[in-house]
Amino acid sequence: MIMQTKLHPALIAIASLIFLILIAPLFIILGAAVSDTPFLTFPPQGFTLKWFSNIFQIEAFRTTAITSLQIAFLGTFLALLIGIPAAYALNRFKIRLPSWLSNVFVLPILVPEIVLGFSLMKNITIGLQLPVYTTLLLGHTLLALPYAVRVVGASLASFDFSIEEAAISLGCPPLKTFLTVVLPNISAGVVAAFILAFITSINDVSISLFLTGPGVSTLPIQILAHMEQFFDPTIASVSVLLMLLTVGVMAIVEATLGLTFLTK
Amino acid sequence: MLADRWLRNKMVKRLSPWILAGPATFLVLIFLIFPVGSTLFATLTDAKGWLAPYMAFFNSSLRRTVLMRTIEISLITTVISVVLGFIAAYVVAHVPGRLKSIMIIAAVFPLLTGVVVRSFAWLILLGKNGILNSALLSLGLIAEPFSMLYTKGAVIAAMVYLFVPLMILTLAGVLEGIPKDVVEAASSLGAKPFAVFRQVILPLAMPGLIIGAVLVFTGSFTSYATPQLLGGERQMMMGTFLYQRAMVTFDWTGASTVAAIMVVVTIAIVVLMTRLARRMNPMAA
Amino acid sequence: MTVSLTLENVSAHYGSTQVLKDLTLAVAAGELVSLLGASGCGKTTTLRLVAGFLQPSSGTIRLGDRDLTRLPAHQRDIGLVFQNYALFPHLSVRDNVSFGLKQRGADAAERKKRADRMLERVGLSSFADRMPAALSGGQKQRVALARALVIEPPLLMFDEPLSNLDAKLRVDMRVEIRRLQRANGTTSLYVTHDQEEAFSISDRVAIMNAGRIMQLDTPEVLYQRPANSFVARFVGFENLIDMTVVERLGETVTARTKDGALLQLSQERLGAIPDRFILAARPDGLAVARDGNGIPVTLGIRTYLGRAYQYQCAAEGQSYLGNGSLSEPLDTGDRAVLSPVPEQCCILPADV
Repeated sequence: MIMQTKLHPALIAIASLIFLILIAPLFIILGAAVSDTPFLTFPPQGFTLKWFSNIFQIEAFRTTAITSLQIAFLGTFLALLIGIPAAYALNRFKIRLPSWLSNVFVLPILVPEIVLGFSLMKNITIGLQLPVYTTLLLGHTLLALPYAVRVVGASLASFDFSIEEAAISLGCPPLKTFLTVVLPNISAGVVAAFILAFITSINDVSISLFLTGPGVSTLPIQILAHMEQFFDPTIASVSVLLMLLTVGVMAIVEATLGLTFLTK
Repeated sequence: MLADRWLRNKMVKRLSPWILAGPATFLVLIFLIFPVGSTLFATLTDAKGWLAPYMAFFNSSLRRTVLMRTIEISLITTVISVVLGFIAAYVVAHVPGRLKSIMIIAAVFPLLTGVVVRSFAWLILLGKNGILNSALLSLGLIAEPFSMLYTKGAVIAAMVYLFVPLMILTLAGVLEGIPKDVVEAASSLGAKPFAVFRQVILPLAMPGLIIGAVLVFTGSFTSYATPQLLGGERQMMMGTFLYQRAMVTFDWTGASTVAAIMVVVTIAIVVLMTRLARRMNPMAA
Repeated sequence: MTVSLTLENVSAHYGSTQVLKDLTLAVAAGELVSLLGASGCGKTTTLRLVAGFLQPSSGTIRLGDRDLTRLPAHQRDIGLVFQNYALFPHLSVRDNVSFGLKQRGADAAERKKRADRMLERVGLSSFADRMPAALSGGQKQRVALARALVIEPPLLMFDEPLSNLDAKLRVDMRVEIRRLQRANGTTSLYVTHDQEEAFSISDRVAIMNAGRIMQLDTPEVLYQRPANSFVARFVGFENLIDMTVVERLGETVTARTKDGALLQLSQERLGAIPDRFILAARPDGLAVARDGNGIPVTLGIRTYLGRAYQYQCAAEGQSYLGNGSLSEPLDTGDRAVLSPVPEQCCILPADV
């Protein structure tokens, strides 16, 4: 047998332990969610699904879950709608746009989310009297924007724009060229940007924290609020449902891009 | 088509870069630069005088403690995450296909799961009825359960748990990017495995490692959910302190000051460290 | 100190695929042997086995009287030149060259002295403080060469070292490699897929196919007297004609092609001819003429080569490439005959 690279067995053992510890707590949540006790415990005592049905009896979980999904889809969609043209412009017209412009789209990553959330509340919802829901949506659009500009931008950076010129020289109008020639070639970047932005938005705490109001809140904020008052397995079962969402997202990633794209 | 005729217009052609980049730039300008800028500006134009909010911040021993604690927890988290992340990433980069996929899944799954869920897991782990207490009890190491929550250790454990997957994926990419033949060249020239690591792999991974460490440090420094759940009032960090100032005591000047310190520290570290990483990047001639 | 490299019955597997089959090879002290073949023939695997990056499933590898087979790569003391140069991107040219000396415990002054002397020999003295990213391909390969030579290894190995360089530089570099290798008398193993490169640089060449050495000989022998049809095709014998002897009259043998054409061949000029054989001929070994003794063909496309015309020729179920004289151009569709030029042909055993 040919051995390629030899790893020290101790190294493999330590790494395996690290990966085990990464996964184990999530199984503990699963255990705690089915425990037939009024408090959170692991290993579970007894088995029940009543905490799952309990979620659906609490109105706030349902409404915030819907808000979270709406905000995540809409915010991501808006970010792609304005982010893809920006990414295109930054790559296609490098010389005609000032060099600082690409740095503008790094700002949503650079500025701490909690600072952005606080500032949006202070200066937009209260300062400009914009509705809470609108500010929340725009906050999440900002959160998603760097993915749209940078991930799609990375795809565009390796796109050969002479293909576009070829299409135009063959008589294809500009808008149609973008839709039928450019877009299909950067679709992997668009899918990646969508997934990353969506998952970031749906899990966000720090921006949403300040942008809640009467009838407007997101699921993670509702979970935090619930935990302040109750320490029962309901939260564990909500967490299990959220982990199922993660599994779904991972399945989509694997099917469309392959999971290894995340190491790039 | 009308749209196409419009696109052929000379004026439109000349302005097209700005028309395309405009909406996104506008969004950042109005909903990020303006509000965040106002927050920062407010701390400099306080009625009590220039820099008064900062004097107030640094004169309060409670606030200094919060800042120092935040720095301490963030640093410890960064160091542990870098070490664990490097070991795990090194193995990920070198194991054959199937095991590698399993390891990547094990890192991606927590990464894509929300911070609330992940911190919550540690709440169960470390609580009075948690698995750690049960284990210690059954081993006879402790007589009765005690809460490990609301300690520095709890916050650090959960924070490391939060950031190790990010570190693993960042470094796995970096380590896989080191050309295999460069490593082979080193060993063909007589470098022992540790010398290969010290003299070739580590320096080549350093820029990526710095970037990863910056992500972890700034992430810890500005985190909210984890210190809130596992640190509570007792282990107040900058994030939780900002929230408390803003939403509990409605001290907006105080909150703005915390926000400003966060922004300055974050941007300073990012700018300095990326510059350092770029200088260490061997590809730059 | 020059030593020989020997591989005895070395086999290697990737999973369940056998990539080297009982390979035996001896490189004499001071000799440069090339492994030549298409990708996947096992040449790079052989080099990686000797370097210690792969482990053979059986067989032994010896350098002089040292058994390398189970030795880790860093203890083998082999100078290696890589296809992609494999320079350390974070080290200056000088530090790249001194890397091996550092591993051998040489002090800083000694390292600098020897590295600088080596850089002078490859003509890169003024580049010692540059980073590899600031060098051209040819300069990088010189640094790689200097880095391998400076440790004064008993064995040098080259893994397609010139394939990333342009044509002109390739010729210059191979002369340079040969010069330095000769000057030091270092035993060398050189892997390439480029026939011209292998033939011009080597004392002997091993032509490989499917994990086996098909023939190991000097370039002259390989070029003129290939041992089998694989090597013959590899060195440009484009016509390989299966023949069967029908009559022997003294040294003159009459043989028949598959499609029934008869040829008279002289054993005095071609050597012993077995009953079934392959007549191997380059295009200039098959003369195209309007009539005479030979294989009747119909001419296809004519190409002008400068010294002759080359014709694609079709016979019943077989096609040939032959050359015809410039004084008598023939046209597509003409009938003609092909007759072997004995000096440009050779007799190979029939494939089984």
